[in-house]
Order: sequence, then C-alpha cells, then structure tokens
Amino acid sequence: MTDSNHSQSSHTKTTSRRSFLDALFGVTLLGWLGAMIYPVFRFLVPPKRPDLNVSSLDAGLVASFKKNTSKIMRFGRKPVIIVRKKSGDFKALSATCTHLDCNVQFKQDTEQIWCACHNGLYDLEGRNISGPPPRPLTQFQVNLKDEKIFITKGEGV
Amino acid sequence: MMHFNFIRPLLLVLLISFFIPRLSAQEPAEIIPPTDACYECHIDMDLDQDEVNQLFTHYLNDIHFQRGLLCSDCHGGDPEAFDEEDDAMWENDTYLGEISPNGEIAMCGKCHSDPAFMRKYSVSVSTDQESQYWTSKHGQSLKEGNLKVATCTDCHGVHGILAVDNPNSSVYDSNVPKTCSMCHSSESYMKGILETTSQYDDYVKSVHGKALLEREEISAPACNDCHGNHGAAPPEVSSINEICGSCHAQNRDLFQKSHLASVFKKEGLPQCESCHGNHYIVKPSDDFLNWESASGAVCLKCHEDGGKAKLLADQLFHVIDSLKINLDSAKVLIEKAEIKGMEISDLYFELEDAHNALIHSRTSVHSFDSTFVRSTAQPGFVASNNAKIGAKKALEEFEFRRFGLFVASFIITLLVILLYLKVKVFEKMKEKEKKNEKI
Amino acid sequence: MSINDWLQERFDIEAVKSFAAKKQVPVFFGSVWYYLGGVSLFLFIIQVLTGILLALYYQPGAATSYESVKFIVSKVEFGWLMREIHSWSANLFVFTIFLHMFTVFFSKAYKKPRELTWLSGMMLLLLAMVFGFSGYLLPWNELAYFATKVGTDITGAVPFIGEFLSKLLRAGDDVSGATLTRFYSIHTAILPLVFIVFLGLHLTMIQVQGMHIPESMEKVPENKRKMMPFFPNFVLRDLIVWLIVLNIIALLAVFFPWELGLKADSLASAPAGIRPEWYFMFMFQTLKLLPAHILFIEGEVFGILLFGLGGAIWFLVPFLEKPKYSRLWTAFGVGILAYIITLTVWGYLV
Repeated sequence: MTDSNHSQSSHTKTTSRRSFLDALFGVTLLGWLGAMIYPVFRFLVPPKRPDLNVSSLDAGLVASFKKNTSKIMRFGRKPVIIVRKKSGDFKALSATCTHLDCNVQFKQDTEQIWCACHNGLYDLEGRNISGPPPRPLTQFQVNLKDEKIFITKGEGV
Repeated sequence: MMHFNFIRPLLLVLLISFFIPRLSAQEPAEIIPPTDACYECHIDMDLDQDEVNQLFTHYLNDIHFQRGLLCSDCHGGDPEAFDEEDDAMWENDTYLGEISPNGEIAMCGKCHSDPAFMRKYSVSVSTDQESQYWTSKHGQSLKEGNLKVATCTDCHGVHGILAVDNPNSSVYDSNVPKTCSMCHSSESYMKGILETTSQYDDYVKSVHGKALLEREEISAPACNDCHGNHGAAPPEVSSINEICGSCHAQNRDLFQKSHLASVFKKEGLPQCESCHGNHYIVKPSDDFLNWESASGAVCLKCHEDGGKAKLLADQLFHVIDSLKINLDSAKVLIEKAEIKGMEISDLYFELEDAHNALIHSRTSVHSFDSTFVRSTAQPGFVASNNAKIGAKKALEEFEFRRFGLFVASFIITLLVILLYLKVKVFEKMKEKEKKNEKI
Repeated sequence: MSINDWLQERFDIEAVKSFAAKKQVPVFFGSVWYYLGGVSLFLFIIQVLTGILLALYYQPGAATSYESVKFIVSKVEFGWLMREIHSWSANLFVFTIFLHMFTVFFSKAYKKPRELTWLSGMMLLLLAMVFGFSGYLLPWNELAYFATKVGTDITGAVPFIGEFLSKLLRAGDDVSGATLTRFYSIHTAILPLVFIVFLGLHLTMIQVQGMHIPESMEKVPENKRKMMPFFPNFVLRDLIVWLIVLNIIALLAVFFPWELGLKADSLASAPAGIRPEWYFMFMFQTLKLLPAHILFIEGEVFGILLFGLGGAIWFLVPFLEKPKYSRLWTAFGVGILAYIITLTVWGYLV
C-alpha cells in the first residue's frame, strides 16, 4: 500500500513537474514568437517619411515663394539656394561658395549671389564674376509641376 | 652715375633669380632669334660673352620681344645698320644706350601710357601705370632725386619681362611679396628710408601670407592688393576699412554701422588695423574678446580700464564661446554615436548649420551690438541642440538595442534549455515504453 | 487526433509520417557534424525572410541603392537589425556550407549511392557564393563597387568566353547602375529559384537514402548500431542548435555591425584595402601571387584555369575516386583545406 502510494505520489510529482515544464515551455515559446514578430511588425510599419527622395527636392508652392527672394534648402548632402527673380523665374544653385565653402546668399538689389565671407560674387547662372571664388556654382534644374517647385540635378547622375 | 653702382648688382640678382626657374621652364628653342643688327653684333662680341649670352637668353623669353619689339625700340639706334657700329649707335640721334631710372619711367611710358598704341595688344590693358607711378612713394622719392627707389625694371625685370599672369613673372600674384622684399627686407638698403624691414617676415606668417604662399591661393592678397602696385603707398587711416572691406565686406559694413565707427574717426584711429594689425594679421581668435585670455582682449589696447567695454566684450565672448562649446559637445556626442555604429550622417547637416552660424556670429561681432550677435548665433544654438538631441537619441537607441538583445537572448537561451529538457524527458519516456514492451 | 483523422481522409498523412520516421541518425562522436546541413538550411530560411523584408524598402539603382539602404538602417524601425542579420547570416551561411562540404568529403559520404546528393550540394555551395557576390554590390558603397569591379575583371580573364561573360555580368563595359539592377535581379529572383530546385533535390535525396553511416559503424551489425530516429528526436535537437545559431547571429548583429561606408563613386580612386569577401580570398590571393606569365599564358588566366580544373575534380570526386586510392583522396582534401586556410589568412595579413 505504502509502496503503491509512494509510487503514485512520485508519479503525480513527475506529472506535475512535467506540466510545469510544459507551461513554462509554452510561455517561453510565446515570448520567443513575440520577440521575433515584434521587430518584423515594427519594420513593416512605414516610417514617418516613407518616401526616399534623392533625385528631386520639393521646394514648396510657387504661390508662397515671393518674387525677389531666396531660400536655402538641403538637397541630399548639400545646401541649394533657390532664387525667385523679379521676373518670377526660378533659379537653383549650389549654395556652397567655391572659395572656402561658406554659404552664399541672394543679393536682392542686384539679383546676384553673394558670399559674405570674402565678398565673392556670382551671377544667377552661377558664374563667378568677382572676388576670390575660383569656380562657378553648380546649377540645378527647377521644374514647376502642379503649382509646386521641384529641384533636380542638372545633368545625369 | 651714382645709380649705376647699386642698380647693377640689383639687376644681377634679378637676372639670376629669373634664370633659375627659367631653365626648367619653356623651351626657348621655339623662338626664332631676331635678325636685327643689335642682336647680330652683340651676340658675337668677345667682351663679357657670358653676360651677353645670358641677356639674350632672357630676352628671347621677354614678352616685348615675343610681341615683335626689338632692342632699338627701347635703346634706340638703327637696327638696320649691320656694317657700321657708329651708324648703329653713336651717330644715331635716337640712340639712348643705357637708360637712367628717370628715363626708364618715360621710356616704358612711351608705349604703356599710350592707349592708342596699347590697344593694338589688348583693348582692356590699363595705361595709367606711369601716372600712377608718380603718385606712389617710389615715384615721389624719385622726383625728389632719390635714386634708391624702385622703378619699372626693379619689379618687372629688365631683359626678361614676363606677362603678369605668367607664374614665373616676378610680379605674378604669389611672387609679389618676394619681389617687394628684395628691397624692403634689406636693413642696409632701407637705411635712412624706412625703419621697418619686417613686413615680409610678418606677412609670411600672416593668414594672408599663408593662404597665398603655402596654399597658393591666388585670390589671397599680396602686398599690392593693399598698397597698390604702380601707385604703391601705405594706405591712409581713413581708407583702411575700404581696403580690407574689398574682401571682408560684411565686416566693414557692420563696423561702419557700429557705434565705434564715429569714435575711431574722431580719434583718428585706423579701423581693422587697430585690432587685427597690418602685415602680421593672424587668424582671429575668440580670445580677441576674452579679457581673461593670456594675451588679454584686443580691446585692451584702448580700453585699459575695462568698464563698459569689458562688459560688452564679456557679453560677446560669452555668446560666441557658448555656441562653440555647444557645437563641440554636439560633435563629441555625434562621434560617440558614430563609433558605436549608429547611422547618424543626417546630424552632420545640423552640425554644418551650427558651424555656419558660428562663422556668421563671429563676423557679427564687428557690429559691437550684443543683441545682434545673439540673434545671429541663435540658429546655431538651435542646430547644435538638434544635433545633440539626435545624437542622444542614437545613443539611447544603442542602449535599447543592447537591452533588446539581452531580452531576446534570454528568451532564446531559456527556450534552448527547456527544449533540451523536453527532449530528455521525451526520450526517457520512449525508453521506458520500450522496456515495458519488452517485459 | 481528430485533426489528424480529418487530414488523413483528404491526404495520406500517415504515409508522410512513416516516410519521415524511416530515417535514422547514427549516434557516434561525429554526430555533431550532422547538424551542419540543418544549420545551413536554417540560415537559408533566415536569408529568405530578411531578404523579403529588406526588399520592401530597397530601391535598386545608382541614385537610390545607397540612399535606400541608409534609409533602411537609419529611418525604418529595426531596419538596422534586418540588414545586420541578413549580412551576418549570409556570411555564416557560406561558412557552414563550406564546413558541411568538408565533413562530407572527409567522411566519404559522397560515395555511391549518394553521388547526386554531393553534386546538388556542390551546386548549392556555388550558388551560395554567387548569392554573396551579387548581394555584396547591392548597398552600392565604395568597397562593394570596387570589389565587384575586380571580381568581374577576373571573370573577364577567363579564356574565350571571359569578355562576353564579364560584359554580361556588368551589363556593359564597366560596373554601373545597370550592373546594379542586374545583380539585384540575379540576387532576388534568379538565384532563389535555382537554389530552391537544387535544395529540393538535395533534401529529397537525403530523405530517400537516409543518413550516411560512418565507416567505423559499417562493421557493426545493423541491429546493434546506436541510432536515433530522425523524427522527432534529431529534429528537436536540430531546433535547439538553430536557436543557438539565432542567438549568435543576434549577438553579432548588435555588437559587430557592418558599416555602410561611403557611397560608390565611379570617378573616385579605389580606396586602400580592397578585398573580396572572405570566401573568395584564397582565389584572389592566389591570382595576386601568380607571376605575370606561366608557360606562355598569362598568370591570371593560368590561375583561373587551375581553379576551374580543381573545382571540376572536386565536383566529380564521387565518380573519380577508386576505393584503392581512398587515402590518397583524403590527403588531397587535407591539402586543399590547408591551402584554402593558408591563402585566406595570408590574404588578410598582407
């Protein structure tokens, strides 16, 4: 009797131990599944700026861009200066002075690009016309589409 | 006769200094020697053969010869008189022979001051060199009878004058300082004329000298860019800001508008130079504003007692210095994040913006207006803060990754152990079953 | 049970089960090598899964490849993890296949009737290497650009067809954006398809023929051999090993990330230390060491022919080996292994 009792208790002990093991295994398995699925799920959620725009830069609405003003924007790694002439036409040039890499600015009175660092002057075609700049500024293409301004690289990448 | 004594050795130095780079430069073989009487005779002369040879070698490279001018165009005489020495020189009315300094200015001016003549060679060439020369310190001294002055040939060379844009020319941008220093750095030569002879040595160490001579940046100013060339003279106090302002326009404009401009005018102080010096202009440091720096603020030159000036300088220094510190700490954070392998190249845009603002605010100091300086620096603070926030986020993300790895690793390890236990249990059961079956 | 019954009525699941239960795995000191095939399979599965995920954001093209990979690793959540796992598991994938191949070679498991398993396995190794080569270019960074340039240059030195082959790979005379789209297609469409076919063949052959019994066990009578059922005992152990491998990959991904480097620029001069991926190193190093001319042919061509011949012999080992020279083949294998290790180490030291 005692013997059978003993074996029964040991039996229940092992079964309980086994069911505990099973439960723990189940929980861990679920945890593992979670650890695998969570990153994948987060990966699938599109990031805030899902569009990777490298070939063109959206410079906003034409209407909101006043005549005879300019603004500097990032295009890829480099700053670009976008100018709206008095005539209403747009021009986009690299905003990095070819002399010592200062950022250039638009001179409203003469419609020229000016670098404050050493008084370098460029015209709106980017040509260096006076001062120390050794090279012209790179031109970018401006395309107007649906009342919006888009800047693209001048020549093929 | 007096000038002969010193001009000769000077010319020799000039000649030699030309000769060294010339040897390796252009091939004179392309040039056909002239066929006039001067050349024909003088090349064959027994006397001083070496000197004559040297002279003609130079002359073949001379821009005047290359544009068709002959010896006689400067020295006079008859280039067609092949047979008779007297006809060629002594008995010819136009013959000048050796040319005096005074005569030299007129001789060169004969062509160079004649717009109608010079137009033949270039429509844009200036013809005011001679008139400018007479306004220069050199020209005025010459007028006074001082023959120890620079004339055309002292700077341009004699029988080997090269075009200004030829890098071998003694008056090519980056060769100008050396050329001027040939006289101006010689204590013995300048004795009784000018006390200072350190201009060249100072200039070489200056930010401009380094740019021009070390980095070979042709746009950097040489002596003539501040002093003028043909009309060379020390700039007047009132014109210094315009001279510096031709490149440093914004600095000039800001200073002109500042409350200091009128004070400088009243006191007769030179702008720019008062703080930055003249020939030895170093790259400005933020310590120019720092009363506590080793050399003290540059303001101390006038404001020994501090007072309001110190207050303003402290304010300006504080803005610039704290922007710099902000920028540096952002840089450190970004580097830290980068070393940890985080992709943060976008933050370099912010750094660039902050750096640009720092440059602008350093320039804005010339307004001596703390509000303006602060507003100029503001975008820099914003950008460097953005950079810091981004870098901190990246560092947090890095910690999160490690934490995530730790959690995942823990779960996987636990699963491995449990799976192992399960396999063991499972196999034991199977074995038992087998044994039971056998029994 | 009811599900089982339900299935059984529609599909002979018992047949599949008995088919699966048939396979036995020998238990001996070399059992550990039997996990390598499974690990390779697991790594392939990881590659497929992370590859599919990466393809959701990746945009092939000279103007977009680098930018989109940068976008993935910096902007997409856990994008870095996907890329790191894909890169690390790719390297481990090739490594385990190499290891698997050598263990099979030295245990002579390729002998009759397993010639087809060996051949399909060798094909899988070859495909894995092409996988690596084509995938290496896709981030379009400086190192990848120049490594691909050198790699396709070597292809160009193959006698007769080299020039055509190199042009075919590059989609032109030089490595360009066109090469990139071509490699992308090879990497994500062509190779997976071909790989699955050979993988299917490989796995079917193993299941049909059962595990190879080591020579030491062949003398033991069949009923006294120590064996373990493949399903579920060995499969469960397989899973444990897979989990450990997964853990290792996660560790590597976090602690030893692969740098993206600078964007490829065809006009830039080649950066110092251009190296192929490590599994091409022994070939690269050999070609570097060969003299300019050997027996009237160019050193490079000679090297390529030599590797071609070596590869062919290795491929056809099951058909070339005669029992008499079995030991000689083992020695040959040891020599090859030593050569590969030495040259690889040399390549990294110099």
